[in-house]
Amino acid sequence: MPLTLTYRAETKVPVEIEGITPDTVRELSLDAIRRLDIYHGNQTIPLGAMFDIEGDPSDLEFEMHGNLSGVHWIGAHMREGRIQIHGPAGRHLGSEMLGGAIIVHGDAGDWVGGEMHGGLIRVHGSAGHQAGSAYRGSLIGMTGGTILIDGNAGNEIGHTMRRGLIAIGGTCDDLIGFNMLAGTVFVFGNCGIRSGAGMRRGTLALLGPEHPVLMPSFRHACRYRPVILGVLLRQLRAWKFPFDEDLLSSEIDIFNGDFIDGGRGEIFIRPMA
Amino acid sequence: MMKNGQIRDIMPTLTKIAGGTLYDPLNGIDGKIQDIWIAGSKICRPPDDPEVKPDRIFDATGLVVMPGGIDMHCHIAGPKVNVARKMRPEDKRRSPPVRRTAMMHSGTLGAVPSTFATGYKYAGLGYTTAFDAAVPPLAARHAHEEFDDMPCIDKGFYVLVGNNHYVMQAIADREPKRLKAFLAWILGSARSMAPKLVNPGGVEVWKHHAAGNVHSLDEPVDFFQVTPRSIIHELAVAADALRLPHPIHIHCNNLGLPGNWTTTLETMKALDGHRGHITHIQFHSYGGGEGDEDTFNSKVLPLVEYVNAHPEITIDVGQVLFGETTSMTGDGPLGYYLHRIYGGKWFSGDVEMEAGCGIAPVKYRNQSLVHSLQWAIGLEWFLLVDDPWRVVLSTDHPNGASFLTYPQVVRLLMDRTYRQDILATCPAKVRQRCTLADLDREYSMYEIAIITRAGPARILGLAHKGHLGPGADADITIYTPNENVATMFELPRLVMKAGEVIVENGELRAAPTGRTIHVAPAYDPMDEEHIRTWFEKHYSIQFRNYPVGDEYVHEPVVIGCK
Repeated sequence: MPLTLTYRAETKVPVEIEGITPDTVRELSLDAIRRLDIYHGNQTIPLGAMFDIEGDPSDLEFEMHGNLSGVHWIGAHMREGRIQIHGPAGRHLGSEMLGGAIIVHGDAGDWVGGEMHGGLIRVHGSAGHQAGSAYRGSLIGMTGGTILIDGNAGNEIGHTMRRGLIAIGGTCDDLIGFNMLAGTVFVFGNCGIRSGAGMRRGTLALLGPEHPVLMPSFRHACRYRPVILGVLLRQLRAWKFPFDEDLLSSEIDIFNGDFIDGGRGEIFIRPMA
Repeated sequence: MMKNGQIRDIMPTLTKIAGGTLYDPLNGIDGKIQDIWIAGSKICRPPDDPEVKPDRIFDATGLVVMPGGIDMHCHIAGPKVNVARKMRPEDKRRSPPVRRTAMMHSGTLGAVPSTFATGYKYAGLGYTTAFDAAVPPLAARHAHEEFDDMPCIDKGFYVLVGNNHYVMQAIADREPKRLKAFLAWILGSARSMAPKLVNPGGVEVWKHHAAGNVHSLDEPVDFFQVTPRSIIHELAVAADALRLPHPIHIHCNNLGLPGNWTTTLETMKALDGHRGHITHIQFHSYGGGEGDEDTFNSKVLPLVEYVNAHPEITIDVGQVLFGETTSMTGDGPLGYYLHRIYGGKWFSGDVEMEAGCGIAPVKYRNQSLVHSLQWAIGLEWFLLVDDPWRVVLSTDHPNGASFLTYPQVVRLLMDRTYRQDILATCPAKVRQRCTLADLDREYSMYEIAIITRAGPARILGLAHKGHLGPGADADITIYTPNENVATMFELPRLVMKAGEVIVENGELRAAPTGRTIHVAPAYDPMDEEHIRTWFEKHYSIQFRNYPVGDEYVHEPVVIGCK
């Protein structure tokens, strides 16, 4: 039986529940959980002041209900367990999480999986900017785990990521994989400009129907069917992630770059008709 | 009166600290049990009338009493410090925040704490005075404004002159009178404590050439018929002629480069008998081939021999401790050098006619032979200088380490077993390339009081600081003795600033703004006309807007030039 947290507050002031995860509350009583401190703006209040809390925390599962778009840092630093969110979620979902799974049946805000190290985040709706990104100033961003966003996402997806997988089912805005060190980003819709700017290594698979405009510091390498692409696509299919199944059998144009920083990264795009 | 360290807080006009064990080297007191009387903000003589009772008494029985600490070389204010704060948000995120209380502003820590946090943390360590070591005169106003937000400590700064165009032109024109007048004018205009030379001549060359620098004391500086040697010598002459309380404060050329010890030796020789303070000398004591890390080794022995034989020279160490920090320096080419080594972020600044600046994150690792040697070379300096009055404890905060590590440095000096334990974690070659393993000297409490209080006060010419005699500022730190001296120095029992208790058992009790310490040397007003003409021709601001006004300086203390 999961722990059910039903959000009943109506406030425009940000609510932050950083550190309240299935693994940190599993041995607490319901009353103790209700007394945990959260932030409402710059004020500290008990979790129970904004959430109705019922159920059993020992199963390492949260079921969260309500409009959580103003509730931030859900699942941040989580090590194990599962959080199901039935509604929209706020910013910094799964920030720096190390393990476990977060499933959002709705949209999520900016910074989904910021500097994530492990685990799985699945957003069945759309997400904001900087999914899987490094926080400002960090030399290394996401170092592991998987982020699957069925809908659209914004700018700077996978900024400075070092390892891990990000897949976006819809469109993305600018600067995908900016300053990327390694790792993989799939985008199955169209994307904005300056993809892969400053990338050192890693793979961007920009597989939308429209050919993306690449920067001049990327160079066409070849057209073929990389084995790894099939492996990754079959894994996405196993996760029931939506994409055009024709990609499983099509050839891909590969570009290398960014040649302003070694040119060891690669961008996969669909061949021009 | 209450026992066991509690304070009876009545009218704080006459205070007695009773029964403490005093370490007051400037008055020759070495571990003597003695009372201290305080009238207002100053230490006073005990009243002649035994009937006079203090308004409050602190029972310091069994506790160690010292003057408040003085950090004579750190980087805590001004534009480079601000840039370092801004360019490393990741450093701020990883560090615990300083929470706002009824007494305290909120703040951030990390390698470069925010302004208010800097003041609180210095006070928490028992330090009551600190000097920023490198402020461009053009940014003096900014530094003073930051000082206004840095409570609990008195403070000042040294102003950069080693690459100043007017200075170099006066030297090239062989105009010592003009140079002396300019030095006096700029020190007073900036409300600064002392002249600072950073890589003299080298920063100017850096501005003209890709990866430019000077590599010896006799290499010419572009567009000026001067050399680093002539800049050092002529400014040392001018500083002595002005009778500045603290002479030129020198960051030598070639910082951090293998083989730079000869440059350091030549710098000391260039003083030619004039007073000079060689700062963070650890970074300037390296043997080895140019750019060849395999031959990197310690050259403290020949340098310390020269220092021991020349009483006009003083030093601070710039001790390195292992960990991550942010390097910031007025040495533009050095910032680039560090960026090339570490490959991370880098900031380079150019301040018009005056100076430059370089900032880069660095990480000192004890598995690194070079870093371990740097750590060992700093300790060699402490342990090999004969006269503790001429060596000052510094980490060149934050370059070698944060000022928050000072208690660890004290332990390294007072506990040779601990020192050898740390040395054992370093690469074995460290033992072959320096003498640290053979040094068994341990600092006494009295010597620690010298290198952290009395010595810097004397070197800076601060007669009202660094001692517990009548007339001194009542800046007093009381420690609880502990077998682990790092623990003892990390958490003072009580810190008093100008007679007011500011910290008690690690809790902030008051946060006074503190005073600004500077010099104002006299000069011939006729010489100002020449400076004005030159200034209006070259600078981006008006001459009349340049000097820092009274409104920017909080309760100034002007140190006389005698």
